[in-house]
Amino acid sequence: MRDMTIGQYYPASSPVHRADPRIKLVILVLYMVTVFFCDSFLSFGFMTFFVLVTVFMSRVPLLKVLKGLKFVLVIVLITTLLMMIFYTDVNAEPIAEWWIFRIYLNGVYAAVKLAWRLLLLILMPTVLTLTSTPTELCDGLESLLSPLKFIKFPVHELALIMSIALRLVPTLIEETDKIINAQKARGAAFESKNPFKKIKAMIPVLIPLFVSSFRRADDLADAMDSRCYRGAKGRTRMNKLKLRVGDVVALLGWCAITVCVLFLKYNWFGWGFIAAWGL
Amino acid sequence: MISVKNLSYVYSPKTPFNTQALFGINVDINDGDFFGIIGNTGAGKSTLVSHFNALTRVQKNSGTVFVDDVDLSAKKLDLKKLRAKVGMVFQYPEYQLFDDTVEKDVMFGPKNLGLPVDEQRSRAKAAIELVGLDYAEIAGRSPFELSGGQKRRVALAGVLAMRPEILVLDEPTAGIDPIGKRKLMELICDIKKTCPTIIMISHNMDEIASYCNRIAVLDRGTVKGVFAPRELFGSRELLEKCGVELPLVTELAVGLADAGIDIDRSIIDQDELVCAILKAGKYA
Ligand SMILES: Nc1ncnc2c1ncn2[C@@H]1O[C@H](COP(=O)(O)OP(=O)(O)OP(=O)(O)O)[C@@H](O)[C@H]1O
Ligand SMILES: [Mg+2]
Repeated sequence: MRDMTIGQYYPASSPVHRADPRIKLVILVLYMVTVFFCDSFLSFGFMTFFVLVTVFMSRVPLLKVLKGLKFVLVIVLITTLLMMIFYTDVNAEPIAEWWIFRIYLNGVYAAVKLAWRLLLLILMPTVLTLTSTPTELCDGLESLLSPLKFIKFPVHELALIMSIALRLVPTLIEETDKIINAQKARGAAFESKNPFKKIKAMIPVLIPLFVSSFRRADDLADAMDSRCYRGAKGRTRMNKLKLRVGDVVALLGWCAITVCVLFLKYNWFGWGFIAAWGL
Repeated sequence: MISVKNLSYVYSPKTPFNTQALFGINVDINDGDFFGIIGNTGAGKSTLVSHFNALTRVQKNSGTVFVDDVDLSAKKLDLKKLRAKVGMVFQYPEYQLFDDTVEKDVMFGPKNLGLPVDEQRSRAKAAIELVGLDYAEIAGRSPFELSGGQKRRVALAGVLAMRPEILVLDEPTAGIDPIGKRKLMELICDIKKTCPTIIMISHNMDEIASYCNRIAVLDRGTVKGVFAPRELFGSRELLEKCGVELPLVTELAVGLADAGIDIDRSIIDQDELVCAILKAGKYA
C-alpha cells in the first residue's frame, strides 16, 4: 500500500522544486491548453523537447517520471489501437487489410498523434506532483483562487479541507497497512483472484478504517477548537509564497512556447511553412 | 523455536525514502521462552517480530528466519499454517475489531483457518473465557461499545482463538492504567500455560524484568545482546552499554545499596526486595 503513488513527491534540490507553486499551476494550465493546439509532429516534438528540458532541470530521474505513466499506458495503447483500426480515409488506399479491418496511412498518423498527445497531457502533471509537495500545491491553489473571495466563495475553507485530506492520505495508508497486517495475522487472505471475494475480504479492513477516521476527525476538531481556530479571518501564514524573478522568466518562457505552437498551427505571418515539413 | 540468522531489512528499497531498519540480526528463541525485546523507539523491534509470521517477508540475500523447520525466506510458504502457529498481537490491537458481535469477531481467525462452524464457536468461547471475560454477557455485544481494556482483551482473544504455539505481543500494555497493566500481565502468564512460547516487546522494564526469562536488547537495528534479566539489570556496565533503564525495583535496590545498606544491586523481584530490606534491617 505504501508504494502507491498518490503522494509521489520526489525530494531533490532543483529550480523546478523551488519554483513558486502558483506559477507551476499556471504553467500547467497553459501547457495543457497548448497541447490541445498541437496538431503536427513538429509541434509535438517541440513540446516534448521542452517537457524533457523541464524534467532534466528538476533532477528527477527520467525513469521515475516514466513510471508515473505506467498505469495509463494501457489506456493509451487501447485508444491508439482503436483509432488505427476504425480510421477511414476515403481518398487513399489502405496500406494493410485484414478481414473487415483496413488500415490507412493517415489513420496511423492520427493514432500516433493521439497517443503522443495523451502522453504529453499526463507527463506534465506527473512532473508537477513529483516536484511539489501536496501542501505547496494547496497553498498555491488557495492563493490563485483568492480573488473568488469577493463573491463570497469559501476559498480558505476549501483549501483547508484539501490540505487536511492530503495530509491524512499517508496517515490513512499507514493505518490501512497496519489493519491489513493485523487481519492477515488472523489468517485473512487478500490475495484472492475472485473480485467478489476480494471485496468481501476488504470488509474487515474498511470498518476499522472508518471507525478510526471518525475518531481522528473528532480529535482533530477538538484540537483545532482548543487552539482557537476560527477560520480565515485575521489568520497569517507561516510560509508566505514569494514570486521570484526565475518564476516570472519560466512563465514568460512557456508563454513564448505557446505562441510558437500557435504560429505553427495557424500559419500566422506565413510561419506555418515550417509545419508543412512536419506533416 | 525461532531462529534468526544474519537478518537485514530495508524499507522502501531503491527509493530516496529507503531506511534500513535491521542490520544483520542474530537471535534464537527457544520453545518455552518468555522472550523480551527491548530498545528505543525506532530500534527495529516491530520490524523484527513481523518477520516471524511472514507479514514482512525476508528480503533477498538478507539472512534467514526459521520457525521450527520452516524456512521463511523460501518463496512458497503455507501462510495460513504459519499464521495459526505464530499468533501476533499488534500495538493497540483494539483498532482491528470490525464485526458486529464480539463472538463473530473472535471467530474471524478460526474461520479463516477453514474450521467447521462448531469448532469456530467453541474456540471463540474458550478464547473469550481465557482472556477473563464473561462469555454469556459479552458474546452478543458489539465490540465498539466495550471499554478500552475490554476491547483489547477481545482483540487478544481473536488471536488466541487460532490456538497459536508462539504468541508475539507488541507492547501489550501500552496506554493502560497501572492496575490494568498488572492484570493484563497476569493474564499473559495464564495464557503461557496453553501457548508455551511468548515473545513480548515492551518499554516497561518492570514487566520485562519480572516476567521474561531472556531479554534481547535492540539498538538502531542491531542486537546488543541477549541476556537473562539478572545478568542485564545487575550489571551497570551492560546497562550503560545498551542504554537501558532500570526497573523500579532494581532502582530502589541500587539506591539503598548506594546509601550503604547491604542489599544486592541486581534484585528484580518485588518480594525479594522486601525480604532483603527486612533482612538488612535485622542486622543493622
Ligand atoms: N512502513 C515503514 N516504512 C518505512 N520505514 C519504516 C516503516 N516502519 C518502520 N520504519 C522505520 O524502520 C525503523 C524501525 O522501525 P520499527 O517500527 O521496527 O521500530 P520499533 O523498535 O518497533 O519502534 P517503537 O518502539 O516506536 O515501536 C524506524 O527507523 C522506522 O522509521
Ligand atoms: Mg514498534
